[in-house]
This record gives sequence, structure tokens and C-alpha cells, in this order.
Amino acid sequence: MAEAEIQKKMQKEMEVMNGVRKEIQKAMTQKQQLDSQLNENKAVKEELTLLKKDSEVFKLIGPVLVKQDLEEARQNVAKRMEYISKEIKRTEDHISALENKEEALQENFNKLKNDLGKLKLKA
Amino acid sequence: MASTSTTQQIDISKLSLPQLAQLKQQLEQELSVFQDSIQTLKIALNKFSESGECLEKIGPDSEGKTILVPLTSSMYVPGSLTDVNNVIIDIGTGYYAQKDVEGGKDYFKRKVQFVNEQIEKINMLGVEKSKFHEAITMLMEMKVQQQLQAQKAASS
Repeated sequence: MAEAEIQKKMQKEMEVMNGVRKEIQKAMTQKQQLDSQLNENKAVKEELTLLKKDSEVFKLIGPVLVKQDLEEARQNVAKRMEYISKEIKRTEDHISALENKEEALQENFNKLKNDLGKLKLKA
Repeated sequence: MASTSTTQQIDISKLSLPQLAQLKQQLEQELSVFQDSIQTLKIALNKFSESGECLEKIGPDSEGKTILVPLTSSMYVPGSLTDVNNVIIDIGTGYYAQKDVEGGKDYFKRKVQFVNEQIEKINMLGVEKSKFHEAITMLMEMKVQQQLQAQKAASS
């Protein structure tokens, strides 16, 4: 392979790799957000279980507080936690897939770099 | 992209200078994240303890007392307290729960305790990281000195 060709290929690989890295970053921030949401929901769930049976619970909808059934609120929070956990799982899978992709790209890139080095030595 | 859990198992004295520098930078970044987190937690702590203190001022004898209710930050209308036994507390994610004054105090006490625990945890992690950071800085200095001496020895 000619030197210029390898260099061109390396540049292309680099671009793809940077794209993947950016995507990983994005997925990481998303996961962090989901994590903090889950934590907040956990705190709320705990608080709701601590409440007495006849306590009144309100839900903030826009600027108004709407009274809500305690049992219903508990179920809502539980459902939401389930959903967020699933989302976290999904994002984690996404991240590990991306990381695998990045690793493969890096390997390929290193190989090209090696080839280039050998070519230069010969020249 | 290596995570710290794997790098910490490597003997740091075997790392090269650029690697150490990278590690040092990474640690510095983590430490600043810790600092930020502690700051945020302290703000939360203040809010909770302030709310708790407000509840201390509400007792059975506050009933019927006149207060000024803020409509905007610069305009108030007079009002009077009709229910001094119950408060409505924001428990997060848009949910509000009605609690009696004692329950409210208890809530804020618990929250303050919780946040304090978190701060303590981060502090401990921070101390550990700072120690590691210090060790790396010292090691780097040592390596630089060694290199300088080797250069001197080679030139003389």
C-alpha cells in the first residue's frame, strides 16, 4: 500500500473514532442524569412509605397542587423507578457496545500506524 | 478511557512521566468534581436546615397570628395563620406531602443527616484521592530529578 493511501485511511479512522467517542460522552451524561433521577425517586418512595395511611399527598401539575391518593402516588413512583432502571440498563448496554466499537477502531488504527511505520523504515 | 479502578492496581513507580502526568490530570479533574459536589450538597444542607429552623418557630401559640405573605419578592399582603399544625413539604419529583409540625421537623432532621452523610462520604474519597495525587506528584519530581542527573552524567 502506498504511504499516502494509509495516511488517508488513518485520517478516516480517526474521524470515525472521534465520532464514537463523542457518542460515548453523550451516553455517559445521559446515564448520569438517569442515575440522579432514580436517586430522587428512591428518596420520594422512601418518604411515601414513611407517611401515615391518612396523610394527604399532592402532586404538582404546572402551578397547582392536585390532591392525589397515597396508594396511587406510591404506585406511580414505583412504576417510574422501574422505567428509569430500564432506561439505565439500556444506556449501559449502549455504552458498552460503543466502547467495544471504539476498541476495535483503535486496534485498526494502531495497525495502520504500524504499517505506515514499516513503510517509512523501508523507504 | 481507562477507569481509575484498573489504573490503581498498576504499580505507579513503573509508569513513565507522560503517563504519570496524565494520571495526575485525571485525578485533579476528579478532585474538582468532588469539590463541586460538596458545594452543591452544602447548599442543599443549608436549605433543609433553614426549613427545619422555620418549623421551630411554629407552635400552637402561633395560631391566628398575622403574617405578611409575599406575592412577589417586593410586594406583600397581610394574612393570618389558620392551621399551625400541618405543613406541606416538597418531597421531590413534584410530590408534596402534608405532615404535622413534628413530622416536618423530623423530615428535615433526616434530610440534614442524609446530606451530611453524603458529604462525609465524598470527603473520605477526596482525602484518598488527594493522597494518591500527592504520591504521584512526588514520584514525578523524583523521576525528573533522576533524568536530569542522568543527563548531567552523560554530558560530563
